[in-house]
Amino acid sequence: MSLIRQVWLLLALTLVLAFAAAFGITVHSARQYLETQLGLKNNDTAQFLALSLSQQKGDATAMELVIASQFDTGYYELVRLTGTDGKVVQERRADPKASAAPRWFVHLLGLSPTPGTALVSDGWKQLGRLEVRSHSSFADDQLWKNTLQTASILAVLALALGALAAVAVRRIRLPLQATVQQATALTERRFITISEPVVPELREVTRAMNTMVARLKGMFDEQAAQVEQLRRQANCDALTGLSNRAHFMGRLKVMLGSEDGSAGGAIVLVRLADLQGLNRKLGHATTDRLLQESAAAIVESARRAGSFEVGRLNGSDFAMVLPDVGSLREPAVDVAARLRNLLRAHDHAANAVVGAVRWWHGAPMSSLLAAADQALARAEGRGAYAVELDDTGDGLVLGEDAWRERLQGAVNGQRAKLVEFPLVDMHGAVVHRECPLRLQLEEDGEMVPAAQWLPMARRTQLTSRIDLLAAKLALAAIANDGMARAVNISPGSLMDSSFVPNLRALLSAFAAEAPGLWLEVAEDGALRHIELVREMVNQMHSCGARVGLEHAGERLTEASGLLEVGLDFVKLDASFVEGLSGDHARREHVAGAVRMLHGIGLKVYAEGVASSDDATALATCGLDGLTGPVVPAA
Amino acid sequence: MRAAIELRRALPSLRWAVLLLVTLSLGVQAWDPERIVQAAARRGDQALQGAQALRQAMVSVQSQDEQSQLTAVNEFYNQRLQYRDDIDIWGQVDYWASPLESLQKGMADCEDYAIAKYFTLTALGVPHRKLRMVYVRATVGGPGGLVQPHMVLAYYPSAEADPFVLDNLITDLRHASRRPDLSPVFSFNAEGLWEGVGTVAVSGAGPAERLSRWRDALAKARQDGFFQ
Repeated sequence: MSLIRQVWLLLALTLVLAFAAAFGITVHSARQYLETQLGLKNNDTAQFLALSLSQQKGDATAMELVIASQFDTGYYELVRLTGTDGKVVQERRADPKASAAPRWFVHLLGLSPTPGTALVSDGWKQLGRLEVRSHSSFADDQLWKNTLQTASILAVLALALGALAAVAVRRIRLPLQATVQQATALTERRFITISEPVVPELREVTRAMNTMVARLKGMFDEQAAQVEQLRRQANCDALTGLSNRAHFMGRLKVMLGSEDGSAGGAIVLVRLADLQGLNRKLGHATTDRLLQESAAAIVESARRAGSFEVGRLNGSDFAMVLPDVGSLREPAVDVAARLRNLLRAHDHAANAVVGAVRWWHGAPMSSLLAAADQALARAEGRGAYAVELDDTGDGLVLGEDAWRERLQGAVNGQRAKLVEFPLVDMHGAVVHRECPLRLQLEEDGEMVPAAQWLPMARRTQLTSRIDLLAAKLALAAIANDGMARAVNISPGSLMDSSFVPNLRALLSAFAAEAPGLWLEVAEDGALRHIELVREMVNQMHSCGARVGLEHAGERLTEASGLLEVGLDFVKLDASFVEGLSGDHARREHVAGAVRMLHGIGLKVYAEGVASSDDATALATCGLDGLTGPVVPAA
Repeated sequence: MRAAIELRRALPSLRWAVLLLVTLSLGVQAWDPERIVQAAARRGDQALQGAQALRQAMVSVQSQDEQSQLTAVNEFYNQRLQYRDDIDIWGQVDYWASPLESLQKGMADCEDYAIAKYFTLTALGVPHRKLRMVYVRATVGGPGGLVQPHMVLAYYPSAEADPFVLDNLITDLRHASRRPDLSPVFSFNAEGLWEGVGTVAVSGAGPAERLSRWRDALAKARQDGFFQ
């Protein structure tokens, strides 16, 4: 029995006992009092009447009259004169009046007062004994009324006390519950502090818990800060904080090769002209500040496109990779305009030029960069703030309606399959199979990877149906061979309010297979919908499925809230892993991140591991497992 | 027997009921001379001497007929106690003393004589129904003399019989018909109080006992051991 229920039981018992006792005593004493008073009245009347009768000198008529007058004018049930021989001489009797009180009450508690008796004589001669009994029904009525009154007053009091007790118990229960929730949250890697209750003992507990949680959170934050610092050292340009060349190239390569990323977009190169001249003229400090402000302007421009990647390629060159842009010109012109505003305001000789090209999934990186360089060179030839485009990419040929039709056709016809890439632990044992979904968009056509249809699925809001299909295929496959499988969940699905309930229903139907299902949300999308992720984690955990982040690492440490929603695992993005073996600073960063994530109980895996050297380096960093070309297909 | 004991343990209230039944069934015949003497000892030497004399007188007539007991008790109190008004004895206008209180003082008012004789006789086994405390108009000093309120004890050998009068004015035992100086007004005894309905009186703790002189006297007599 729960503590609170025990307290309640104790309170209720005490209240009931106290009130029953009070009630019993009150009713009993009232009854005693009434009975005594009636008995005295009987006795007094009998004595007085006997005295009157004794004065009648044995005159039977006179005595009858005296008895009748007393009986008729008073409230009597019985007045009886019995002779010395035991025979009744005179008797007046009235039927007992019915009481207004219920019969059971009269039966249980009705009054039975002592009848009054007295001796009647005529001189020395004995005439007999007189017995007088009064009506007691009015007293029964009084007692009944009294009992009802007492009961109602006590009931009101008991209710009031009960309400008070409820408040008091609440004062204990709420902080207790809060503390229990806090402790539970801690086991789920969430740090909650709760307000201190008024009850002193509970306040101590809460204070201690809060202190402990704060300390744990402090340690975690400290670790996160260290990791962030390591990340900056390894991947970022020291002056502007943007990705350095190596990291930027890694990210670009992942984007071009991603199975489930964007289908295409824009690469925009920006060159600040005559940086050395500027340096000479303005001095090192001013030039640095100008570079920082320019970087900020470029990031701001890129942010408008949503997901983005910005890097500093060398001293004066910056690059943006933008996904899913309609027009190539628009972002290029925007960034040029921003830089013009910035640099002109400083009234310097400095200027900038912009070159842009389209990229698409699967395009060779070197030729893309070469085209972008050429565009930039053409712009330089044209002078300050010139913008040059190379809009030769194939783009999205079909219209939105045609895409919706093709996607719906594939989903409705279940023309889909999961491809499988094993994820293994450091001993080579398979942890689960990563299963990106491929759709057969045309009947009898090819199975097409997500990168080609995902942007359109997003735009046509079909991701939730597609993700459900993937989960269903995965569950069916698990039912078939018992192997754990991971599927992607797109951020668009999270925003569909029917998605999580549907997924839950699906998992309930596959209750035995659900623990084998791993659900992955891209870090980027999860960050934008932390609350939705939290809700999904709660729902999925209740079914036994796992939830984690994929393509993670870049913004892990800024995601303070995200790591506390109770996730199970994190997959580090391929750009973190690429060439790790040769770079000490990045190894440090990855090792720090793994330590931090392990600290809050998450499993950490690496994506896209291509070389066995990197795999070895990852093992020294403490990773739990990896996937990628280095792992032989199952 | 064993069951009865267990039952008694289980229900404490039953014990009182049993006690009551015993009291009623043994009636008033059960008296204990030792208890009377002990109670008297607590009241001082004079009371003790009086009680010892009373014990002697009672024991001598214990096994004799009621007539002899009447004579002996009437004589004992008429000789032992001196007549005084309550105001002189107790400092109160009217005070109903128990037998031992009267013996302690050695003095008594008319109702104190009657009370003492009543309880002594019931202690010896005379039934209550044969005894009456009687309020009388007493004419003192022959016909046409001073009329004053008085109280005597009357003994009825049977319900219709001419009663004997135990009086302190005319000390020898006479039939009522031979007492033209007395005219009875009202009479009472403890009879009603002893029968089943008399719980208030017998319980000994009822509030009525403090309110009525007669019941007060009954209670005191019981404490003094004249009956249980």
